[in-house]
Amino acid sequence: MTRASNATASFPDAVASVDAESPLAARSLHASYGRGRGRRPVIDDLSLALPAGQVTAIVGPNGCGKSTLLASLSRLHVPDAGAVVLDGDDIQQLSAREVARKLALLPQETHAPEGLTVSELIQFGRQPHQGMMRQWSAEDRRVVDEALSAANLHALAERPLDAMSGGQRQRAWIAMAIAQQTPLLLLDEPTSALDLGHQLEVFELIRELAAAGKTIAMVVHDLVSACRYADHLVAMLDGRIVAMGSPSEVVTPELVRRLYGVTCDLLLDPATNSPILTNVRSARGE
Amino acid sequence: MTSRSIAYATSPRTAPGINAAVTPPTASPADSPAPAAKAPTGTRQLTWRFRGHRGAVLFDRRGVVTNLGLALALALVAIASLCLGSLAISPLAALQGLAGFGDPMNVFVVRELRLSRLMAGLATGAAFALSGCLMQTLARNRLATPGIIGIDNGATAFAVASVLGVGVGLAPPPMALAGAVTATVITFALASDIGTRGYRFLVAGIGVGAIFGALTQLLLAQVAIDAANAAYPWTVGSLNARDAASLTWLEIGLGLGLIAALWFKRDLACLRFADSVATGLGVRVKRSRFAALAVSIALTGLAVAVAGPVGMVSLMGPEIARQLSSPRGVPLFGAALSGALVMVSADLVGRLLVAPIEIPVGIVTAIVGAPFLLWILLRPAARFRR
Repeated sequence: MTRASNATASFPDAVASVDAESPLAARSLHASYGRGRGRRPVIDDLSLALPAGQVTAIVGPNGCGKSTLLASLSRLHVPDAGAVVLDGDDIQQLSAREVARKLALLPQETHAPEGLTVSELIQFGRQPHQGMMRQWSAEDRRVVDEALSAANLHALAERPLDAMSGGQRQRAWIAMAIAQQTPLLLLDEPTSALDLGHQLEVFELIRELAAAGKTIAMVVHDLVSACRYADHLVAMLDGRIVAMGSPSEVVTPELVRRLYGVTCDLLLDPATNSPILTNVRSARGE
Repeated sequence: MTSRSIAYATSPRTAPGINAAVTPPTASPADSPAPAAKAPTGTRQLTWRFRGHRGAVLFDRRGVVTNLGLALALALVAIASLCLGSLAISPLAALQGLAGFGDPMNVFVVRELRLSRLMAGLATGAAFALSGCLMQTLARNRLATPGIIGIDNGATAFAVASVLGVGVGLAPPPMALAGAVTATVITFALASDIGTRGYRFLVAGIGVGAIFGALTQLLLAQVAIDAANAAYPWTVGSLNARDAASLTWLEIGLGLGLIAALWFKRDLACLRFADSVATGLGVRVKRSRFAALAVSIALTGLAVAVAGPVGMVSLMGPEIARQLSSPRGVPLFGAALSGALVMVSADLVGRLLVAPIEIPVGIVTAIVGAPFLLWILLRPAARFRR
């Protein structure tokens, strides 16, 4: 896979070369939020290509446009200009159903009807493959079973979602996305409300899915987790990409300071070879 | 440089247990001779083969049992409502009268008086509840029923204007429809969006409903007392003022509404999730929501033209059905059956309680509905504690 070698300087070239084979790419994307006078631009001329079969983490400070980018990549948000290209097609020209067969999305706001069980939730993932006269098939059954196994939820299959822990519930939602059988998976802050153990469960599941061939993009708040679990890091600030490439190449004390306004030292985790931040302190007073 | 499709099919880094989850199906279910897959827990399926393609429709077991139970209860209440009244008739005689045999007096009372009232109760109850169920689903809020967000009141104001002969001289059904549409359009214009702003929509609707309620009172105050009396039933909700033409309109509308709702049932089940989830599952959210809204408005308008604003039924019917059914889908049939059950029972109680004086059905449902509303408002706290 091509990776930007000198990430901060040459990433537009890297985009051009990866673009052709990327399953999902943004080209000169402009997007804004709100309507009327309250409308404000959130994404400003952004180009990006997700490397196939890898985990891409999108990081950046609050309000930098990460979630809007993810919404645009998944067809939820209509861009003002530019395009999102899914397998060679402009995503806005595809129907919701066509997109749902290629791209599964796990949004931040996940709320399920009261009393819905894990396996019932996962069955909803089959929706884009079913029809009014084709509500269930052997294929559906097999895929739902496999999604349960992948998320290690077989023992909890008949448990209502509202009776489960946050980590289990998040795994159930990811299992629903797995049941969609899409080559692409986008996740918006999949671990934001979880404790350390549950975060690891979710990140490890994401790694396993990438190992099985899925192309994954996730918005992540925690830079260290992003470095640890992503192959490809996209750092955003004020609606633009300021750095892009493999975490060990991209993450520098200067980047951390620019993104979050903190100074820090970087160490390489001897076990995983991914950068970790130490001696972090606020740089705003300096 | 590995091309994506190759990386995808023959990835050397395949982890055990998940590779199959992303592998495209090797054989389509259509050309495999294997027997039909076992249905998911809690469901039964009806499968068939047609030109080599296997079709399957799932039925929720709990939903089917619930609907059968509701239908049975409804049948019992319906028979009771044919039997009871100022002239009590035995069930057997009532059924004979219904078929046109036996005592001519019984035949007259059952067929000419009580049957049309029963039909009006069944149709309005089902229509209000189905309408409420659709509205609650599309707004993702249990309080968002046509009765609470003022669509009832809009329809009533226009229907009353029609009865009084104020303004356009249309019959009550088209006027009530126009009123329902007007109230909805105003509510939407004020709330500007329903998807993300459920509460804004609710508050705007309550305001619009209050204005139309006041408008109805103003109309009644402006006309002669006899005309006001004639229009009064519409303002509280009663099955006494029904006319045959309005009932026919409603019955046709209810039939079409049920078919349309059934058509959208699977999309409606997904609409209960966040918009982003529903869209991610391939549902055309805006279109489904608009269709559900159109059916909901039409049913409310047509039902108001028959019985006036009996809004509580649109709250109670769906809630009863939801309590009894599984969360797998939206209980459209269950809501319609529950609504009809509530309406016919309330009308029966209203007729018998202080006979010979009749309490309008709208008042009975309001008395029962108020505690019900409180229960709905307070219930989430109780659930949370569990």
